[in-house]
Amino acid sequence: MLLASAATVPLLLAASGCRSSDAFDGPDPLAGRPRPGHDVVVLQAAIAAEEALVALYVTVTSAGSAAGSELLKSLLAQHGQHLARLRAALVLPPGTVTASPEVTVSAGFASPGATASPGGTAGAGGQADGRDVVTRLHAAERASAAAGVRRLGTVEPALAQLFASIAACDATHVAALAALA
Amino acid sequence: MTAITVLQAALEAENAAIYGYGVAGAYLAGSGQAAAIRDWNDHNEARDTLSAMITQLGATPTAAAAFYALPFPVHDARTARALAAYLEDGVTRAYLGVVAVDNLRLRTFGALAMQAPARRAAFWRGRTEPFPGLIS
Repeated sequence: MLLASAATVPLLLAASGCRSSDAFDGPDPLAGRPRPGHDVVVLQAAIAAEEALVALYVTVTSAGSAAGSELLKSLLAQHGQHLARLRAALVLPPGTVTASPEVTVSAGFASPGATASPGGTAGAGGQADGRDVVTRLHAAERASAAAGVRRLGTVEPALAQLFASIAACDATHVAALAALA
Repeated sequence: MTAITVLQAALEAENAAIYGYGVAGAYLAGSGQAAAIRDWNDHNEARDTLSAMITQLGATPTAAAAFYALPFPVHDARTARALAAYLEDGVTRAYLGVVAVDNLRLRTFGALAMQAPARRAAFWRGRTEPFPGLIS
């Protein structure tokens, strides 16, 4: 019986005249980090978009002057749940650079340290109040629902269903915000 | 899972909703009853759309049952609203099943179609849910 530790494998390969690339059927694992698969790329985009939406809610709920602030906190909490579930679906190797800074939502309230994602579509920034806030959130939710449906076409079924469910939730938020306007 | 299977499941959910709104509407009045009638009409339209899609695929749409068992007794406006939310959850789940198929057009159809029942469920329940159609 031959037992080989991970450290001895390269020596054995070298002794047998094999390169590491000969021992595997596929890209050379020692040649560098492989490119992420399609689902990973789409999932990262979905996470970045959800982070931007959370950041917009954080901005307006932190201002404290928006109409229906209890409702907005509840919608923010649900976006926090979306973000957690999307992130749970993504497992990246340690040291991988993520698309955007970490945004957190705890207990349905905005984290004071939350930051807007650069290039986010939500356009967070500045303080707005009343109807203007609701209008901005309404537009952002509507765009998010539409983007979610566009995103699900080319991914695996389980991920497509997650995107569809989140998009449907966004659609319910659109209706809830319309009632506030 | 074939396209016909998931569309038949959605049709079955729509038929159950049509039946259930007939029960719920009897216990609602005023704006609640008006909303129930509006939703009942929406489900009838959705049933016709699904029937046409199934026929186009060469299958026969499953006929509605004469009677559907209710998930709990309905005897007043509160339980009628709860039934309406329950029915909408079932329809939402059924359309989410359509999203699992490979066909892009059907997926998109399912994803868009589940938004209306999710909105109606939120209306009857009085609150939104984070993951319509999925187990939270």
